[in-house]
Amino acid sequence: MKMTQFAVASLRILLVVAFALLLLLQTLSFPGQFAHMAQESPERAYLQWPLTAFAVVELLCAQVVIVSTWKLLTLVRRDRIFTGAATAWVNAIVWAVLVAWILLFALFLAVGFAADDPGAPLLLLVFVVGGAVIGLLMLVLRELLRQATTLRSDMEAVI
Amino acid sequence: MGIVVRIDVELAKRKMSVGDFAEKVGLTPANVAVLKNGRAKAIRFSTLENICRVLECQPGDLLEWVED
Repeated sequence: MKMTQFAVASLRILLVVAFALLLLLQTLSFPGQFAHMAQESPERAYLQWPLTAFAVVELLCAQVVIVSTWKLLTLVRRDRIFTGAATAWVNAIVWAVLVAWILLFALFLAVGFAADDPGAPLLLLVFVVGGAVIGLLMLVLRELLRQATTLRSDMEAVI
Repeated sequence: MGIVVRIDVELAKRKMSVGDFAEKVGLTPANVAVLKNGRAKAIRFSTLENICRVLECQPGDLLEWVED
């Protein structure tokens, strides 16, 4: 239990740092980068806003995952993780991963066949496969959580 | 009705109060109430054993099946 408390506390600090970094990327870095690229090569400037929107939504999904994880950690600390309250946040994570993965897959299809060198498509493919693995793993974990919740509520009914 | 827990009968025979009984068995008064009013879903053998020891009776004296 000591170990868990330490892990939860450390995770919370890291989640705050990660959220701040994502916010920085989302509001300044990516929009600035795409604006700069649009200025550099005006013939591709039409890509500025689609790419900006893509980056903002992808990072938004990551932020949803961070906030949901924070909420789940609160439930863990209060020993309420095996209740119905956890389901909503786990569902939020699953949906966020799904949306992020669909967008990423769309970008992969758009870039993958248009690119003249294999570097970018290959990198995107790694992210597409990785994203699918994370998403499916979340589904398995959600089912395990559901089973554990049923067991816990059954046990709590025993006098 | 299904399975009915006859704690109240045994308590009355021994003139034991619910609070006293709960303390001796090691249950919360709330859980004793759940047992008494038939809302209990399951009971540990260890709890049943404690109840039998306190009330000096057999499980059969406590549990009764009533047809619906």
